[in-house]
Amino acid sequence: MFSAAAESFLRQAREIHEEELRRFAGRVSALLQGPEPGAEAAEGLRRLHLTVAATKYPRRLDGRFVELLQTVLCSPKSPEQVQVLCAAILREMSPCHDLILCCDEIQDTKLLSLVSSVLLAQGNKKGEVAAVGQRVVKVLEGRLPKGQSALFLLPVLANVISLSPESLTEEQTDAVSRKLAGWLRYASTQQGVAQPSGGFFSSPRTKQPAPVTEVDGAVATDFFTVLSVGQHYTQDQWLNVQAFSMLRNWLLCYGGQEGKAPNPDDKLGVDRSVTSMVSTASSSSRLLPPKEHLREKAFEYCQRLIEQSTRRPLKKDDGDLQKACLIEAVTIMDIICKQDSSYVHRAVSSLKILHGRICGDATYARALLPIAQFFLNHSKLAAVDLDAIYKHLFTDIPAQLFHNSSLAFEFIQFCKDNNQLFTDTSSIFRQSFPNLFKFLAWNSPPLISEFVDLLPFLLDAGTAIEIFHLLLDLPCLTAALDIQLRAAALPTSEKATSDPAVKPATCLEAFRHPLYKSTFQHLLRSRSAPEDAPESLIPLRQLLGSLAGNPRVVQCAETVPVLLELFFRVVAEFADGCLINQLVVLLLQRSDQLYEIPAFKDDVYRSGLSGSTCRCPTTSAALWSRSRGSLRPWRPCCLRSPSSDLWPAPPAVPPVPSASLWPP
Amino acid sequence: MVRAFVLLSLGGPAGQAPCRVLYARAFGIPPGTPPGGPRQRLRRKEQLLVVARQVASQCQLLQSSLGRPSSPQLPQLPDEPVSLQDALGGLFQMPPGDPFPDRVTVVWLSVMALAFALVCDPQENLSLAEITLRRLAPRLLVSLRLLSPGADVLLRPDAADALLDRLLPHGQMLFLNERFLQAMDRELGIKASR
Repeated sequence: MFSAAAESFLRQAREIHEEELRRFAGRVSALLQGPEPGAEAAEGLRRLHLTVAATKYPRRLDGRFVELLQTVLCSPKSPEQVQVLCAAILREMSPCHDLILCCDEIQDTKLLSLVSSVLLAQGNKKGEVAAVGQRVVKVLEGRLPKGQSALFLLPVLANVISLSPESLTEEQTDAVSRKLAGWLRYASTQQGVAQPSGGFFSSPRTKQPAPVTEVDGAVATDFFTVLSVGQHYTQDQWLNVQAFSMLRNWLLCYGGQEGKAPNPDDKLGVDRSVTSMVSTASSSSRLLPPKEHLREKAFEYCQRLIEQSTRRPLKKDDGDLQKACLIEAVTIMDIICKQDSSYVHRAVSSLKILHGRICGDATYARALLPIAQFFLNHSKLAAVDLDAIYKHLFTDIPAQLFHNSSLAFEFIQFCKDNNQLFTDTSSIFRQSFPNLFKFLAWNSPPLISEFVDLLPFLLDAGTAIEIFHLLLDLPCLTAALDIQLRAAALPTSEKATSDPAVKPATCLEAFRHPLYKSTFQHLLRSRSAPEDAPESLIPLRQLLGSLAGNPRVVQCAETVPVLLELFFRVVAEFADGCLINQLVVLLLQRSDQLYEIPAFKDDVYRSGLSGSTCRCPTTSAALWSRSRGSLRPWRPCCLRSPSSDLWPAPPAVPPVPSASLWPP
Repeated sequence: MVRAFVLLSLGGPAGQAPCRVLYARAFGIPPGTPPGGPRQRLRRKEQLLVVARQVASQCQLLQSSLGRPSSPQLPQLPDEPVSLQDALGGLFQMPPGDPFPDRVTVVWLSVMALAFALVCDPQENLSLAEITLRRLAPRLLVSLRLLSPGADVLLRPDAADALLDRLLPHGQMLFLNERFLQAMDRELGIKASR
């Protein structure tokens, strides 16, 4: 809520004059240098933070004041709140020219974490990231003083490696790998003890700690993981959570043979694994080199999570975490198998069982994607019947769960990441493109740009005509999906097929009417069916007219012109003149057979015309002679960016600054 | 890794009140960013504003597709627990160069006239990102009194920082089960709603 008070504060912060700001900073400075900077100092720092944050151009604060902020931040006498606010101001101002902050001497782990947040915001031109990385590893390797915890440092390390993995030496990564393996595998399986309340009637009682439980309440059957439950947690259990949370990135950076960070997008890259020469049996794993040791412990952890993730949780929200853990576990197993193919056999047996257990449960659908990815990556070694897995994924899932927008997004990402799958004309992936469009038909705004990327991979001489019709009928598909959902929600008594003699009064009745059933089925098909004639959709389009104003249908309709232009651009690259002419003729025929959404016909005709005539100028004269006088003025596609017609334009976005932005 | 967290007010439909970034936290400068003083800072602010606008736009489109009114509901009493049941959310991608050097995925959640967004690396665990947002949102709503007419969100960055330091330390999302979360809440002394 942006209230009037907030509006006023923001304006004041922006409008404060330099001189007044300097005076204010001076007052805060005095408070900070006083004996005990308290609430008043904190309030002053908060206002300064707002002043600095409120403007895009940097606010000049006195160099000595900035130095004071850093001194106060690092001083053990400063109250924590004041330290946090100093760090916040320094981060907001970043990058700072005159930063004297240095993490080398800091012993306190909480302070080190806070100072690191400032240093990592500087942009690394002075090697700040490496300096932080070095310091953090040094502290982790050493013996932590009493009261200090590694808990504050692991996230810093995770941030360092995501920004600059080469900051750490192999020796350092080995040392940390050993620690990670220990935290993952050997956390206590007893619950922590509550801090004594110290109340008047309390007496110090040594309470016997209970064992941790699984999410379903059963006593824990094996080692501690993020899915282990207790009333209170011990320090090493917290470290277990953090170690797992950063494990994937750690393995990606340092788990491979080269020891450098591989390209994280390289899912199907060259198989870098080398069969491990050392036995991977658990009992001897302590003797493994650190990298291999961590790999083994990580693998065991993932297998344990897979077992834990299908238990029925007592708390509903733990169910969401189970699924997230499952996805993470499978992804990590995939990475491990890429780094050492001797794990593939063990992984495959776990994942086959898992797949069998979850494939019928819609709530686990998102987890099917990393499983499929695993099998795609390791199919040579997997020796598994993959067709059944892919068929379920591409045929059933989109048809049943197109309305799950998160799944839709991840599914299309999966397709994009594995786009080479669509080149084989006979494959299940290629055949299932009508199903993929259901995701777009229902979730147009977030998925249109993803489909702009994906469409070229779906198009070839064999699919062009069918996809052409599909694009023109996309809003119809949205309407049909809406009816399908509503029909499924009806009580069973109302689901009987309608009387064929009676004309359906509503779309919902038409859905079950024998006359319209087959056309609905064609529209809602899961697989490519080029032989079915689109003329059969004419009565259906008319019937669906009542849904033409449905907001979701309208949003979908707005994506069609963009896709159509792209369609012609791509098709022109491979199509012969015959196909192009065929499409142009179809466009003209279809221009009278479109869903009756206001402006849809014009937009489609215009973008189809622009897309096709740019590439076949010889037909342009013939086409223009048939063009309708009511068309709005248009520019050829080459003068328009693909997204310019897509959505009502938001307020103008200032461009990312270029070299000429700042006055010299 | 999470590159940034953004808390924004959605503003009105196009042409009315613009969306505003109320609080933003970036976790390190993305690799590939050209170094340079004020330009780097300006770029960071611009990038986060672009994210906020895209979130606002996606949210309004989703609201419209569900047939919901775009004007925010009447604010509740500040201390009333906020239900996330009707909260809208989504995912979208932003291509390389627009606005970050690399491709990013944005995960967002909207409550009342506010939205919370995580800017993630493309291969991030998006299920966990959604869970993290569902945990951050009610705690921030309470801690910053976001539904009250005050201006705590602008004037208490330390309160927001404290929550982020627990739930998203240095941009690291955590696999916390409900009991861990309760333990964390006890330590922070907050009562968060579901």
